[in-house]
Amino acid sequence: MPDSGYPWPISTTRLDNGLRVVVSEDRTAPAVAVNLWYDVGSRHEPAGQTGFAHLFEHLMFEGSTHVAKTEHMKLVQGAGGSLNATTNPDRTNYFETVPAEHLELALWLEADRMGGLVPALTQETLDNQRDVVKNERRQRYENVPYGDAWLRLLPLLYPPGHPYHHATIGSMEDLNAADLATFQAFHQTYYAPNNAVLTVVGDTTVDEVVTLAEKYFGGIPPRPEIPPAPDGRVVPATGVPAEETVVTEVPAPRVYIAHRTHPFGSPGYDVVTVLATVLGSGRGSRLHQRLADGERIAQPDLVGAYGVDLAHAPAPLIVTATARPGVSGERLAAGLAEVVDELATVPVTTAELERAKALLTTAWWRQMSTVDGRADALSRYATQFGDPGTVAERLPAWLAVTAEQIAEVAADTLAADDRATLTYLPQEAHS
Amino acid sequence: MTLIADRPASGAARPYRFPQVIRRSVAGGQVVAAHLPGQNLAVAMLLLDAGAGREPVGREGLGGVLAKALEEGTTQRDATAYALAIEALGTELVTGLDWDTFQASVQVPVGRLGAAVELLAEAVRTPRLDPDDVRRVRDDEVTALRMDWANPGPRADAALRADLFGAGNRWGRPMYGDPDSVAGLDVEDVTVFHSEWFIRPGILVVAGDLDRLDLDALAATAFAGTGGGPVDRGAPIEVPVRTGRRIILVDRQGSVQSTLRLGHPGPHRAHPDHVPIALAGTVLGGAFTSRLNHLIREVRGYTYGIRGDFASSRRFGRFAVSSGVQTAVTAPALVEAVGEIARTQSGGVTEDELAVARSWRAGQLSVELQSPRAIAGALSTLVVHDLPDDYHARLREELLAAQVAEVSAAAATHLRPESLTLVVEGDAAVIRDELVATGLGELIDHPTED
Repeated sequence: MPDSGYPWPISTTRLDNGLRVVVSEDRTAPAVAVNLWYDVGSRHEPAGQTGFAHLFEHLMFEGSTHVAKTEHMKLVQGAGGSLNATTNPDRTNYFETVPAEHLELALWLEADRMGGLVPALTQETLDNQRDVVKNERRQRYENVPYGDAWLRLLPLLYPPGHPYHHATIGSMEDLNAADLATFQAFHQTYYAPNNAVLTVVGDTTVDEVVTLAEKYFGGIPPRPEIPPAPDGRVVPATGVPAEETVVTEVPAPRVYIAHRTHPFGSPGYDVVTVLATVLGSGRGSRLHQRLADGERIAQPDLVGAYGVDLAHAPAPLIVTATARPGVSGERLAAGLAEVVDELATVPVTTAELERAKALLTTAWWRQMSTVDGRADALSRYATQFGDPGTVAERLPAWLAVTAEQIAEVAADTLAADDRATLTYLPQEAHS
Repeated sequence: MTLIADRPASGAARPYRFPQVIRRSVAGGQVVAAHLPGQNLAVAMLLLDAGAGREPVGREGLGGVLAKALEEGTTQRDATAYALAIEALGTELVTGLDWDTFQASVQVPVGRLGAAVELLAEAVRTPRLDPDDVRRVRDDEVTALRMDWANPGPRADAALRADLFGAGNRWGRPMYGDPDSVAGLDVEDVTVFHSEWFIRPGILVVAGDLDRLDLDALAATAFAGTGGGPVDRGAPIEVPVRTGRRIILVDRQGSVQSTLRLGHPGPHRAHPDHVPIALAGTVLGGAFTSRLNHLIREVRGYTYGIRGDFASSRRFGRFAVSSGVQTAVTAPALVEAVGEIARTQSGGVTEDELAVARSWRAGQLSVELQSPRAIAGALSTLVVHDLPDDYHARLREELLAAQVAEVSAAAATHLRPESLTLVVEGDAAVIRDELVATGLGELIDHPTED
């Protein structure tokens, strides 16, 4: 059993303007991963501005003081790099992996858009990227069967006003209403060096990275007061199950069961991670054994359970199954609920536990097998827990979870009277 | 505020190296391995000459059903015991197929690879294939395909493929089959396909820390009990190119987006122009900064993304563009996409564009080939296309040396804007008239199923 999930060196430096610079040297391949986490996500969005953090992420690729529109992508790809960005409720993440000789270019580009986005932001760019994001919404959520499940689950789990109540993609109405001044203010408020972590992993040295970070980011002033998102850590149990049934164009009934559990990074969430693997990963999982192989009411490749790794409030556990032909949504929902309920009453066996831990071990080392996977993990732990070195604790923490802990967490957090259930039914069956 | 105005120059390039490749003949089969010192994770992948191209016409999806059936128990243990055994090692049996090969692989912490390869071989070589299990797996696959085909895309892909390659040919039908072809499979199809193609030795690809692995032992396990030699893999297929464009409209009522699939036949993988063709495809539709993505997404805002590329297998290839665009702009998006393809064919690429394309493709070799899974994939490319150990290093040099004239010539020769098939899957009642009015080509309504 490993005593560390991160057997590489880690160095952290804080620049005078508050930017934390994390470096992890690994000379195996001639590449470096550059990864920035800004501690701003859709949880910061007030009512009427849903989708703004994510739309803003798009704007960050459209030019800054010294980088012309469309030049950012061109320079990184023209250096042989891969790049992208993601936004979720917790944070916004920008990353590129480049051949090692282009590290300085990547840092220059990131610094220019951290410190110089506002002067380059135009109405034309905003209008164009608003259209792109609306097409992203259509493509990923509206035009595919079950595509809006996540959008429907969040308000069932989190009450109005909670930072996780609304989905990161936002509403069409709010996106339509977005104006330029709001985005300028958004950047000035949140895109400050003292609200970010810069991580570099790969073929470089601590000295090289810190020197370059000082050179490119050092002149960007900190922002003294960064408004926090609403506090969502306490979500009172309602004692009443939340249920929604959607009759629409889907090929088969599908059920989602969701619960609020514990925040990512807490001991309780480590238990949830193992629990979810016991419940829903692989053919040996309880859901597969019981519903797909046993009762044969669920389609084998469409059962699953996973935690959504959010750190600022009790994170969701999502459990799902899709009916085999001839099986009703009611029967499937009952079967799914029964397997979830049994986590509290039927003890997890040693074999189940070891199976889950073996799968999680492989998944962990798979993320650690690339410099970009490591850089993202270090940014996460520095941003959310204040110390990138705590990344090493996660795998050992999973491996220490016991069957008793799983039963306890299941009893505490997976109660049927505090459950959200979302059911999709095909239209024909009801017409 | 002080930002540095001057864009930094590139530092000194580090030497590129692909991991050391080891090839060995063991126990009647071949092992191809890459040494990844210090890597905690290892991958083993068995490649069999049992890709979709080996499936008989009318039996599309056979490989996919067999892949699932492999996990329904072996001569040694039942399905549940098998799942528990392999997952206890930290892996599942991952199967996949393309036109040229069938792949079965495991990925585990390096010390468990021997045990994982034993289970891989047990499933591939000695599956139980109980008739009831095979029928159930087939029915599950039909359901899974029906689910998949409820999404936008699969019907458009199938319409394009049939129009390019002819539905009478295996390669003119979907790689994974469709719900009807799979529903028509019987138990004997599956058992015969297994005995014909799955007990030949094949090739074992290994990516991991070879100091902690015994290749001979892994190979002996993978090839135990196998027999039969390689079978002729067939010459490249001459695919006729259509004269004149056509639009195929696939109805998807109420769709808020139209799914676009544009394409024509292209060169097979061993074509001598492979590198300039790939670069021409990159300039036109490969990178984020490509002509298509720039115009259709970044300038017009019609889409979340649009991509185009040349793809090829041993025996045939195709050029294709894919996107999802807002319903209201279907016609202009189509017109402008065709316009960019035509402009690239007639005018070639610029040095500025090519500079990005060649550095990007070359740099991707260092950036993307890191994990054992990615390295195993790169090794399988060597194996399937008979390429040498230093292929990736040479490819990098060829990419970096490519000149505007040769890439423009490849675009001129291999892009066929006048022969494009333009498949549009969307709300026909809303977009049909506009599509006809574009004058891009004759419009054909794709037959509706059921």
